[in-house]
Amino acid sequence: MPAKSSVKPDDALDLDLAHFAIDYAGKIGASYADARLEATSVNGFVLKNGVPQAAGFDRVAGIGVRIVMKGSLGFACTNGLSRENVRAVVEKAARLTSAASRIGEKVKFSDEETNKAGYEVKQRVKLVDLSPKEKLAVLFDTEKAIKAVKANVPGRFFSMSDFYTEKYFANSEGSRILSKIPRTDFWYFITVEEAGRTAQRYWQYGAAGGFETIYEYKFPELLAGEVKATLSNMKKAISPPKEKVDLVVAPQITGIMVHESVGHPYEADRVLGREAAQAGESFLHPGSVGTTIGSGAVNIVDDPTIPGSFGYYLYDDEGVKASERWLIRKGIIGGLLHNRETSAILKTKSNGAARATGYDREQIVRMANTVFKPGSYKEDELIESVRLGVYFRNFMEWNIDDKRLNAKYTGAEAYLIRDGRLAEPVWRPTIEISTPKLWSAVDAAADNTEYHAGTCGKAEPMQAIPVWFGGPSLRIRNVRLSF
Amino acid sequence: MPKAGAGGEQGDAHSVAAYLVKQLKKKGADDVVVSAIDEEVTQLKFVNSIISTTQSWHSGKLNMFVAIGKKLVGTSIRSISKSAADDAVSKILKFTAAAVPNKEYEGIAVGPFSYREIAETYDKAITELGETAVDLLKGAIGVASRNGVKRAAGVFETTVSSSYLLTSNNVESEDRGTKAYFSIRAFVDKYASGHHVCNSRVLRKFTPERSAEIASAIARQAVNPAPAKAGTYDIIFSPLPFSNLIESVGRAASIFNVESKLSCLAGKLGKRVGSENVTLVDDGSLPNGFDSAQFDEEGVPTQRNVLIEKGILKTYLHNSSTARRYGTKTTANAGLVTPTPFNLVFEKGNFNKEEMIKEVKRGLIITNVWYTRFQNYEAGDFSTIPRDGIFLIENGKVVGPVKELRISDNLLHILKGVAAVGKDSEAVFGWEVETPTITPPILVRDVKVTKSVE
Repeated sequence: MPAKSSVKPDDALDLDLAHFAIDYAGKIGASYADARLEATSVNGFVLKNGVPQAAGFDRVAGIGVRIVMKGSLGFACTNGLSRENVRAVVEKAARLTSAASRIGEKVKFSDEETNKAGYEVKQRVKLVDLSPKEKLAVLFDTEKAIKAVKANVPGRFFSMSDFYTEKYFANSEGSRILSKIPRTDFWYFITVEEAGRTAQRYWQYGAAGGFETIYEYKFPELLAGEVKATLSNMKKAISPPKEKVDLVVAPQITGIMVHESVGHPYEADRVLGREAAQAGESFLHPGSVGTTIGSGAVNIVDDPTIPGSFGYYLYDDEGVKASERWLIRKGIIGGLLHNRETSAILKTKSNGAARATGYDREQIVRMANTVFKPGSYKEDELIESVRLGVYFRNFMEWNIDDKRLNAKYTGAEAYLIRDGRLAEPVWRPTIEISTPKLWSAVDAAADNTEYHAGTCGKAEPMQAIPVWFGGPSLRIRNVRLSF
Repeated sequence: MPKAGAGGEQGDAHSVAAYLVKQLKKKGADDVVVSAIDEEVTQLKFVNSIISTTQSWHSGKLNMFVAIGKKLVGTSIRSISKSAADDAVSKILKFTAAAVPNKEYEGIAVGPFSYREIAETYDKAITELGETAVDLLKGAIGVASRNGVKRAAGVFETTVSSSYLLTSNNVESEDRGTKAYFSIRAFVDKYASGHHVCNSRVLRKFTPERSAEIASAIARQAVNPAPAKAGTYDIIFSPLPFSNLIESVGRAASIFNVESKLSCLAGKLGKRVGSENVTLVDDGSLPNGFDSAQFDEEGVPTQRNVLIEKGILKTYLHNSSTARRYGTKTTANAGLVTPTPFNLVFEKGNFNKEEMIKEVKRGLIITNVWYTRFQNYEAGDFSTIPRDGIFLIENGKVVGPVKELRISDNLLHILKGVAAVGKDSEAVFGWEVETPTITPPILVRDVKVTKSVE
């Protein structure tokens, strides 16, 4: 039990099993051990073209144990929550890790404070208090709102899930962290048809909290608006301008840009080649910290502690206290995201970026909530300052190379800016740009910060983890669109 | 079936599954499917040519799918015991009492079925591999080092699993399997890399050293890449990147995605969707197929389905419920909610690599892609990013490595542009290709290539 904490474990979670795991690992020769004991209750609903698909509910519980044996790192997990099972997986991990140590890396962890704490996210509308029908009502209301729009929408796909995770972290150094985090997740995929062609939109919303977070997004109004904008774009859009223009990108685009071309390449494990065969590496190297990557208007942080955020946590999965981390300050690279392993290699301290998607995955360096800090302009002022340009409200297709140097963002709802005003819709304007060029071309930020949700993929087996990304509208000067 | 879980009295998975089916039927369920899955996975992750982490996973669970008055629910229990089963039954009843029916649901398959063992899906040698996996990996990393590679990263993974399925429609089936998977990305320097993967269900056909050799060769040839122009190129896709695109075609064949407007194959049954050179099969019964299984999620024996024959779309992928709705037969691809491909096989042709290169006036060899994303799934508009060695071809000859390009095209346009098909196939599964796919190299004409603006 964490000391001085009012947060108590739920009845079903036997915290002593985590203590047993790390003690047993020590007994058979591990120089370090940590255990994550987790239980997640989940409910999931899908409405496809007005028809509810099989709903799901589940409780996924298990324990993941990480050990250092003969200097090498090993991880094992089981969903069989008995001492017998835990003993068996720890022994297996010890055998395999000992064998691997012949050609294994000698791992070191940075020295960090030992923490004992408990924390939880409160729910105003408790996830367990609503019936499946009451939850599904949100999806049916959204379906109804779309149907009320005068538009042909042959594809209407909504997915909604809620999660409640209780997690207990303990390590052989004495850290003990208990957390209880509820989360909600909603995503939609719509297809609008007009005059024989279609346009599609996908987006996701997620937060830490109770079911009130779902109500607060007002999906029926939001989706009806999306359908109207998509239809208008299909009916009236013109081709994007070919000459060099200024761009104003709204928070959804800002968010994906900071996630893809700042958050990912700043993950120290990628910089050190530890994700090379999976999500790739980084154009940065350890010496990049302190060098200039963008204009003075660029200020970007990653902060796990934003209340209600999808990527929320106060202590990471190595028991390190989380805090806001500056990735770019006034255009200069402020630092990388670290766990205890990468920080030891680069002779610094962990900044609490170790995360795992569940008890059954190793904790690796991840983003939490990556945000472009707000500026002092209003979005209208950014638009008013552009003679000829394009305003990107949102996007559909995007990708970036595996060193995070060349990104593509193709607009969905977008408008021409003519003489400081929004004019006709623009059909699929495409930004295809290198990372340094992008951040050098950003010269102003508005004050209209929005946070958007994503499920970020990394590692093998895949760890799809909840994050927020966001920021305000940005002005990007003098770039050519791609065709 | 090993025992798994804890809490309450322990039982074996077969008897707890039978108990669940009986109890749920008694309480008014129309259909019940219970599947018991037990899986042990071991992985050696290597980075900078040494092992960075060893990992092992053990999971045992009973999955349940239940239909009560067309109200559908899925759940699972990890504790294989009667008390956990009783608890699950009461939760299922409570959940479905407040659920909404799916009026399109048409039930599960009616058994019994007879099953045949699929060749080369279980190998005792993989179950006994243990710590000797380290030696196999060491051998593969050694091959890379001897081939001029500065560092290599990847995973070496083995899986041992068993499954048991029981339904309320007279279906009972059992299977077991082993798997071995290897992925290696080799670097000569930060901007010169090659990637290769291999997989097998039996150890004697598992070839990590060959993969290390191929990845190393690509990396060596990729040193000092030059910038290249955007434009239209003929592209020779190696099996790894073509599998990434074929996986999108396989997913598009699922009737669930067709209905969801997530498919460029919608409305094209019986119509041309590719060139004469395109024949694509999904085969859940393929010997040594990485995802081969004797039965699908509702217990129907798996089969070989021709999805596209000489460019003509022949079928979508169905389970029993969707097939009944469309007046056709199941293709044995349940997914009780989403029919899903098992192993996609692109039929071989007769070109060797040199002959293919000679066919190209201005083109590229692409050895890997990642981050494939769609602007419009129904239209098939997408882009994907080549990674690792990219090689420029001019007038039938490989000129040298190039860099920083993007394929921005359309999936149907790619299929229609298939001009030559290689004669040597490779089995691909990996981080970017989750559906096992077997394909030779493919030459596609007139592919749009873009790059970052200057």
